Amino acid sequence: MTPAISLKGIGKKYRITSSKSLRLREILSFGKKQHSQDFWALQDIDLEIEQGSTLGILGRNGAGKSTMLQIISGVLQPTTGTVEVNGRLIAIFGLGSGFNPEFTGRENAMMNGLILGIDRHEMLERFEKIEAFADIGDFMDHPVKTYSSGMKSRLGFAVAVNVEPNILVIDEALSAGDASFKKKALQRMYDLRDSGTTVLFVSHSMGMVNRFCTEAVLLNRGHMIARGTPDEVLGEYRSVLEKSQSKKDAKNAERDQQLDYAIAHEDEDDMPDPPKGKGKRGQRRPTGEAEVLDVKLLDEDQQPADRVPSGSTLTVRVRARYAQAVDGSAFGAVLRDRSETLLFATSTDMEEPPLGARAEGEVVTVDFAFGAPFRPGHYGVEATVSGDAGRLLGRTGEPATFEVVAEERPAGDVIQPPTRVEVYDHEELGPAT
Amino acid sequence: MATYTSSEKQGLGSAFFDALGTFYRRRWLLGYFIHRQVTRAYRRSYLGLAWAVLGPLVWVFFLALIFSHVIGIKDRAVEGDPTLNFGLYLYCGLLPFLTFSEALNKGLNSIRSNSGLVQKVVFPTEILPFTNAIASMVDKVFGFGALLVMLLLFGRTLHPTLLYMPVIVVLQMIFILGLTYIMAVLGTFLPDVGEVMRPVIRGMFFVTPILWPPDRLPDSLSWIEDYNPLAYLVNAYRDLILDGTMPGALSTLYFTLFSVALFIVGFALFVRLKPRFADHL
Repeated sequence: MTPAISLKGIGKKYRITSSKSLRLREILSFGKKQHSQDFWALQDIDLEIEQGSTLGILGRNGAGKSTMLQIISGVLQPTTGTVEVNGRLIAIFGLGSGFNPEFTGRENAMMNGLILGIDRHEMLERFEKIEAFADIGDFMDHPVKTYSSGMKSRLGFAVAVNVEPNILVIDEALSAGDASFKKKALQRMYDLRDSGTTVLFVSHSMGMVNRFCTEAVLLNRGHMIARGTPDEVLGEYRSVLEKSQSKKDAKNAERDQQLDYAIAHEDEDDMPDPPKGKGKRGQRRPTGEAEVLDVKLLDEDQQPADRVPSGSTLTVRVRARYAQAVDGSAFGAVLRDRSETLLFATSTDMEEPPLGARAEGEVVTVDFAFGAPFRPGHYGVEATVSGDAGRLLGRTGEPATFEVVAEERPAGDVIQPPTRVEVYDHEELGPAT
Repeated sequence: MATYTSSEKQGLGSAFFDALGTFYRRRWLLGYFIHRQVTRAYRRSYLGLAWAVLGPLVWVFFLALIFSHVIGIKDRAVEGDPTLNFGLYLYCGLLPFLTFSEALNKGLNSIRSNSGLVQKVVFPTEILPFTNAIASMVDKVFGFGALLVMLLLFGRTLHPTLLYMPVIVVLQMIFILGLTYIMAVLGTFLPDVGEVMRPVIRGMFFVTPILWPPDRLPDSLSWIEDYNPLAYLVNAYRDLILDGTMPGALSTLYFTLFSVALFIVGFALFVRLKPRFADHL
């Protein structure tokens, strides 16, 4: 497969002069005098990004992150090297910055789409989706000057992510907007990622990069100094931050570090909870005393299913083998939504019956059946086998996933329990007075 | 799936025609931009776009009234036409001049004032000067409409030569576009050009027969008119609108050749240098 993006020997040079008059003198001297310095914002960047991967770009301020994104999206021309991009690329640098305040949201959304290079017909077709996603109600037909900055970024983001890019380039775009919109935006980004969109992503939020990206690179002073899994690169990034700390006054170092940490994790409160048992940081390793063989999802007819209607009864069938004899153990199932928020956890300890002692080599199957009144979306189930004192004996590698289908409701409900409504006219209630 | 190689060095010729093709490919964007530019000034007002006609109407009315009935410059030496009104004469000269001066001023800032688009999105920058030039032409078409109303109001005949106006307007457009593209490049790389252009525009107002009739010009100074493309436009406007005569064939040919050459040079310059705009803002 051809890579989505391929950078070969990319460099970007700027010429820096302290004042205009010095620059003029340099021009007038026809190269005899030099008052300017060359500054390489990027140098020797070789990078191939596979289709469908999500790449986090880390680095301190001025490391060249934005320059790199601008070169990839074609806004800036590299001084050296070549860029190849395959597919429709949508870049978001600062949301809603191209909006004209005198025109309505609708007009600006159309303009924004046309500016991004999307065909007018396509925009007209997608308008409903964009409007629903931005969710700013009647403001759609009011001039943008009446918008709050959050509303502007909602609209800008709605346009950019609803035109189905092959490659999405995001530069710190999620910092505006309230928590609920951030969640929605993130959900959409997960959707895009899972549908095969290549995402390039600059963020100072380490947690966000860790959770969202499949790969990461670290830039420092225009050079790419690390590439790998988010875990590895984040480690490098921390050591870069620490190195810059150690140069400073030792007395302030600790406080600075705390500040750095706080800044790097600033927006995490609004983000979905990090996965608890499965998180890449602080992950509990199973002892290997038991092995989860498989996790199956069955619908109400006990048929294997990966799509179930909301509100139906879902059965999670967990099969595990004991590698060693144990005195006591329990099977557990944990349900999470797309943003890794824990929805529901159950185990044979909490319910009945306890599993008791098991011999080596024994295979046990447990069915957990429960109602699934969840909103439409993708969910994952993870199964665990734990021993006494909460020791983790075994766990699924990858969670089993399924989709809940139902009519989407605009309220953004987390669950959609079966609801019965009855209407009584006042008279029928009888002598309530 | 589209592939592009951003540092690919395209030949100037193909880049030139590629950029010309942009106007067709991104016609909706162009349309929205022009619409936005034309209506922006009138957005806040209650009467809206009506001001595009009302504004010039009020202006040309006062010009006609003041110069003919107050100051008393009623006519110039044209036989058998006592109704000739200096105000209308002046306005006929002002229309092409204003298009010219606006093209210069807006052209200079067309890239700079849209730095958000140039630096943040992959944007066909050739759209920007084009939009400015067309929007200011459209604005003048409303002014032209106001002029026609005034002609009727002052009891003047509408000459059949008016039908040739679109031809002149197209030629003027090519001239203005060429000028705008050159100014866009200059204004982006050399901000000082803006300061230089201000006295140039003021000077052009006086060396072009707008306030004065060209037949007053002594022979020794006739080159002022002969080598001034703006003078051709002013004269052509007056010939077609007020006098009902055709502009000279030879001068029309010269003007056409000059405008086309100006456009090709200006647009080629723009296409060659546009990849560097984002670095210079």
